[in-house]
Amino acid sequence: MLKKTLSLIITFDATAQAMAAEKLLLARGLPGRLIPVPREITAGCGLAWKAPPEARAELEQALDNGGVIRGDSHILEV
Amino acid sequence: MIQVNAMGDACPIPVVKTKNAIRDLGGSGTVETLVDNEIAVQNLTKMANQKGYGVASEQLGEGCFKVTMTVGEGAALPAEGEPTFCAPIPAHEKRVVVAISSDRMGEGSEELGRTLLKGFIYALGQQETLPGTILFYNGGAAMSCEGSPALEDLKSLRARGVEILTCGTCLNYYGLTDKLAVGEVTNMYVIAETLTGADLVVKP
Repeated sequence: MLKKTLSLIITFDATAQAMAAEKLLLARGLPGRLIPVPREITAGCGLAWKAPPEARAELEQALDNGGVIRGDSHILEV
Repeated sequence: MIQVNAMGDACPIPVVKTKNAIRDLGGSGTVETLVDNEIAVQNLTKMANQKGYGVASEQLGEGCFKVTMTVGEGAALPAEGEPTFCAPIPAHEKRVVVAISSDRMGEGSEELGRTLLKGFIYALGQQETLPGTILFYNGGAAMSCEGSPALEDLKSLRARGVEILTCGTCLNYYGLTDKLAVGEVTNMYVIAETLTGADLVVKP
C-alpha cells in the first residue's frame, strides 16, 4: 500500500518557474523534489515542489532570493 | 550438477531455492529443481529466461515436475538477497505493461520532456492499480541506472511488486551495463513476449 506523508507542496504559476526552482534548490542541496501537482490542489502549472514541511521557511526564502516566482504553499498528505 | 527439492513449496520458495543453488554453482553448470505444481514451473522458466539461462521442464508424474536450468559461461549469477516476484496474474486482471523507450516524454523540448517523464514515473506510483511490468529500452535504459532522476520512484514501485526490466543490449550500447540500479536485465525475447502478452501497453 502506498504510504502517504505530510508534505509541503509549493506550486508555481509557470512550468519554466517550476523547472527553475528545481535547478536552484537542487544546486543548493535543499530538500525535496519536483512532482506533478497533487490532484487535491488545482492551482498552478502542473508541477510542484514537494518537501518536508519543516523546510518551508528555508525553501521559500531560497526561491524568493533566487528570483523564482512561486505560487502558494500547501501542507497536505501526499 | 545441483539438485533442488522444492516439492510442497509454495511460490516464491522454489525460485528462491533455485537461485541459491545457482549461486552455489559459482559459475557454469546445471541445476535441477523438483516441484509439484505448474505455476512453479512457469515461474522458474520465467526466471531462467530473464537471466539468460537454458531451461527445460518435464512432467515426471502426477504432481511432479522437473525443471532443468543450464547456466552458461559468463552468465550472471543471481545477486544475494535480490527480490523474487512470482505472483501468478489472476485471469480477471489486465496485464498492463509500461514501455519506456526514451529518457523523455513526448516530442518537443528535451528539458521539458525529461521533467515530464520523471513526473510520469512518480505519478505511476500514485495509482491505485500498478502496472505489472515496466520495460526500459533504447534511450529509456538510462532511467533504471545510477544517476537516474527516477531511481527512487522505480525502487519503490519495485518494492511494491512491479517488475522492472531493462534491455541488456541497450545497457551495453550506452556503456551502462554496470550501472543498472533497479530491476533486472532482460533480452529481446522477454521484451517481445512481455509486449505481445500484454492486455495493454502504455507508452508515455
